[in-house]
Amino acid sequence: MNLIIDVLTAGVRGGTSILYAGLGETISERAGVINLGTEGSMLLGALAAYMVAADTGNPWLGVLVGGLLGAMLSLLHALLVVWRGANQFASGLTMLFLALGLTSLFGAAYVGRTITPFEVWAIPVLSDIPFIGPIFFEQNALVYLSYLAVPAVWFLLFRTKWGLLIRTAGERSDALTVNGYHVKRVRIAAVTAGGFLAGVGGAQLSIAYTNSWFENMVAGRGFIAVALVIFASWSPIKVMGGAYLFGAALALGPALQARGVGINQFALHVIPFVLTLVVLAVLGRRTISAAPAELKRVFENGPPTT
Amino acid sequence: MTNVVGAPNESESSTALVPILRVERFTKHFAEVKANTDVSLDVLPGEVHALVGENGAGKSTLLKMIYGVYTPDSGRMLIDDVEVSLGSPAEARNLGIGMVFQDLRLVPALSVTENMALSLDVGAILRPRALAKRIAAASEEYGLAVEPRALVQHLSIGERQRAEILKVLMTGARLVILDEPTSVLAPQEVQALFGVVDRLRSQGFGILIVTHKLNEVRAIADRVTVLRGGVPILEGVKPSDYTDEQLITAMVGHAVPALPVERSAVDADAEHALSLESVSSRGDKGHEALKSISLTVRRGELVGVAGVAGSGQRELCEVATGLRDVTSGTVKIAGLAAATPRKAIDAGAVSVPEDPVADSVVTRLTVLEHMPLDGRPFPRRRWGIDWARIKSKTAESNDRLGLRIAPIGRKLFELSGGNIQRVILTRELSADSTLVVAAYPSRGLDISNVRRTQQVLLDRRAGGAGVLMISEDLDELMAMADRIVVLHDGHLSGEVLPADYDRQHIGRLMLGGVA
Amino acid sequence: MTLTDAPPTAQPEWLSTGKKAAPAVVRWAVAILCALAAFSVIIVFKGASPLEVFGDMWVSTFVRPRSLVEILNTMAPIALAALAVVVPARAGMSNVGGEGQLIVGAIAAAGVALATDQFLPGETVMVLMLLAGIVGGAAWAAIAGMLRLVFQVNEAVSTLLLNFVALDLLLFLIYQPWREDPSGQPTSRELVDTAKLPEISGLGIGIGIVIAVVAAIAVFFVLKYTRWGFKLSVVGGNAEAARRAGLHVPVLILSALLVGGALAGIAGMIQFAGIEYKLRAGFGLQIGYIGFLASWLARHRPLPVLLASFVFAALAVAGDSLQLDAQLPAATVSILTAFILIAVLGFTQKKGAAL
Repeated sequence: MNLIIDVLTAGVRGGTSILYAGLGETISERAGVINLGTEGSMLLGALAAYMVAADTGNPWLGVLVGGLLGAMLSLLHALLVVWRGANQFASGLTMLFLALGLTSLFGAAYVGRTITPFEVWAIPVLSDIPFIGPIFFEQNALVYLSYLAVPAVWFLLFRTKWGLLIRTAGERSDALTVNGYHVKRVRIAAVTAGGFLAGVGGAQLSIAYTNSWFENMVAGRGFIAVALVIFASWSPIKVMGGAYLFGAALALGPALQARGVGINQFALHVIPFVLTLVVLAVLGRRTISAAPAELKRVFENGPPTT
Repeated sequence: MTNVVGAPNESESSTALVPILRVERFTKHFAEVKANTDVSLDVLPGEVHALVGENGAGKSTLLKMIYGVYTPDSGRMLIDDVEVSLGSPAEARNLGIGMVFQDLRLVPALSVTENMALSLDVGAILRPRALAKRIAAASEEYGLAVEPRALVQHLSIGERQRAEILKVLMTGARLVILDEPTSVLAPQEVQALFGVVDRLRSQGFGILIVTHKLNEVRAIADRVTVLRGGVPILEGVKPSDYTDEQLITAMVGHAVPALPVERSAVDADAEHALSLESVSSRGDKGHEALKSISLTVRRGELVGVAGVAGSGQRELCEVATGLRDVTSGTVKIAGLAAATPRKAIDAGAVSVPEDPVADSVVTRLTVLEHMPLDGRPFPRRRWGIDWARIKSKTAESNDRLGLRIAPIGRKLFELSGGNIQRVILTRELSADSTLVVAAYPSRGLDISNVRRTQQVLLDRRAGGAGVLMISEDLDELMAMADRIVVLHDGHLSGEVLPADYDRQHIGRLMLGGVA
Repeated sequence: MTLTDAPPTAQPEWLSTGKKAAPAVVRWAVAILCALAAFSVIIVFKGASPLEVFGDMWVSTFVRPRSLVEILNTMAPIALAALAVVVPARAGMSNVGGEGQLIVGAIAAAGVALATDQFLPGETVMVLMLLAGIVGGAAWAAIAGMLRLVFQVNEAVSTLLLNFVALDLLLFLIYQPWREDPSGQPTSRELVDTAKLPEISGLGIGIGIVIAVVAAIAVFFVLKYTRWGFKLSVVGGNAEAARRAGLHVPVLILSALLVGGALAGIAGMIQFAGIEYKLRAGFGLQIGYIGFLASWLARHRPLPVLLASFVFAALAVAGDSLQLDAQLPAATVSILTAFILIAVLGFTQKKGAAL
């Protein structure tokens, strides 16, 4: 029993970075733009937050700066894709490369430095609920913030005019132009907002989870987030469930090792990726057919060869 | 035409009224095309003005200028007698001009309410329930039955159109422009639309309806303007003052040869080119698109298929050419089972698809490169393709069919829709075949190419092929088909022989009524 | 209103291509210069001198004679990884899995080699490694292919995820069954000298580059002049049109992916038997992604891919020297790579390509 609670608690904590990135990518893809550079935004966010936290001792400032840097990278992606018509996959990977280079260059000095991370803060009363209590209510502030972020993103997408514009941009952009809105601006805004959230997710990873910085520390979580959004059918609520699922899968390895169970660590590390593939396969055709129409075209059209 | 309520307004008394819209001598020339030259038009409140012309006559350019998408090279526009110069559709909307596009700019995945929220002034936070109430009230007031909470993708075309019109009215339009609204409706739905138009007319709205169908002009329009080649031939005249022939001549500039009525009788003992027995099939969304259809097309026979869009025509064509699986029943072409595209092609079937741009066109490839894509094995030359042979065959087919396709080196993305259609037709109809399945073959073509295409299909019929032709043009079907079958909701709701060819009758079958 | 709303303005073809060629060269030059400028800003930010850095890179890349050899050697797997993207791209698929296919190809080659190199003649081992690389890479791509065919899983997503699985597979092998030194760095045993890929007559250039160039020419020829190549173009342009033309779309898609995977597998084999000689934790890192981007730079055309790969290889070699001479991490050059790509993707392509 304890193992399960431990894994789930670590799963929520570890899945939070994926959750933030997934929420961000949901907004972006709902507008019709897929951002493979999410991984890069998370990296930049992780380093920036770590640097700020280490140099100023203020983790919240770190989160803010992390988000801003993640947003800037995604803004670059958005400009390339929306304004200049570049291919979405190529641009996203280029962003990743840029982030890898930048974080390698500027992060070297911070490997091994310590910071004051976010502390665990148990919410009174709620954390006493059996089973659910320790898992959800004995976490740090960024995790609690993510609980609010999910309904906030839902509200944004489905109950505000902005969200309507974003969804229309992803479904049928000429319906926006006809009403006098600028499709490009809406898409750029959506992708940038997504990058901000991814940056926050990266920040969570470095200053509220591992509490350290090392090269390439995002290790594929950004890509998992992108895949997650697809099989969560672009729904913020489902993204939350999926993020925790993957968080738990990632946490399973270390938890088992700590208990001396000798399962191959590589096999465990592979689980999230294999799991994603399996889920995508099981959901099959339904996944892409539920996609926002403009996004579908990105998937089905493949690369143009002139 | 007993269903149109109310008489048109008397034009004598309307000279006292100020036109909602007046266009004076609009001219718009593009680099190679003189789209509009000296076009003038006005629409009075409480009037229906029809804008008529063939494809390419300049109607859509004129609309775009009225709606603020283009600016005219010269000429002026007045709204309520005040000269305006529009920079954008938003400005047009603010001045009371509402446009219902032919392709209905509604977002299918969103609800009616959400679609309305895009166009109406609703503030930053959406309140779906309040908005739905507003919509219901307006729907009541204008007599346009619309379900606010429904997702647009679940509505029929007629319902979507009503929603779009309602939206236009709710944004304050006083002039409603309808761009070819009836092309996808059955006759009874057209009547329903005209009922709406009539009610709007009596409420004082001005209506500009764009169409190329004369019977509709006669049914609903108070005045008509005919464009041909960008030039107004008839300006704001009363349709009742002109005969059909005069109007057609105005539209096309010359007498249009009628289809040959005399043709060989169908040989009742001829082999079946196509035979469908109790065929059922699923559509792309998993619904039952065809429900136990039994249909035969004999060699030397042309069978027309009528039906409201979405009744199963696409699935019927695909099943007949092996492109879609059947869930029950058998499909035979010339007696051979045809379950795959390859088998159908080997049995002698060719098909002209409904949407060639989506289904047959590879935009990056050239016209020549499309020619071997008829389903037959590529002419080989060592490990490659014998392009020289294909070239000469294409030239020969082009001469024979006379559709004058674009130069073979052109890439398909450079061609217009009509051009693309001609390329596909030339490819598919060049050889003799057992079965020709043609879906909307005249779509996108101007009248002379339509006639040529129709003639080619009749030639194939005379040559012994069975022809299955889907069309939305009842006149075309009635002129060409040896018999007409009607598809409704996946069933064959009836079969009509030439003696009984009648628009009302067929229309009723299209909507599911009993023969 | 179908493809063209406004009437098309026709120009004679020679005029349009002529008009396009001159500004294109100018645009590329400007793009590269902007990338260099942006990179300089970053360098300054870090407190180093851009002139020094560029100087170092220039000297190490173009002045030292050894460098051209290094560039050509580095270029070989990159070019093959890029070709691994080109072939599926022709069929309309985005193969982002070159990374994983390369690794699995290398693992297969290594597996075969480590089992046989101590008692079979070197040439035989090389041939076996090549075949193993082809099979390994193709098999890895086949997983994504089957996922697409049977479950309609988009290949961009699946190949990407499979990259991570391949990485873990590699780590598993060098940490456990194939680990050579239990206490030191986890690597496999090094390849026997006789089985290492030879050089071209004492120039120091490995034959890997020859294989890559031959492959590029072969891909060019096959795509342009064979029936299979034409069919791929049709499928990639409009799969529905291909189906209606009677083409076997699933078979064509799968074959394109398999060929792509095989090419990446060959890259992995060359990386193993011609460059690194053993498997280690950072084996072949990012070659797959660089290949993907090189293919994009070359607009998925087999022959320009060679040029793009050369450029990326030169950048990689320059990066290594940066590490040695300017004490900047080698990954710094990724920044320059990214800026060049941004400049090219954003400002030298025809507008309104894929969105």
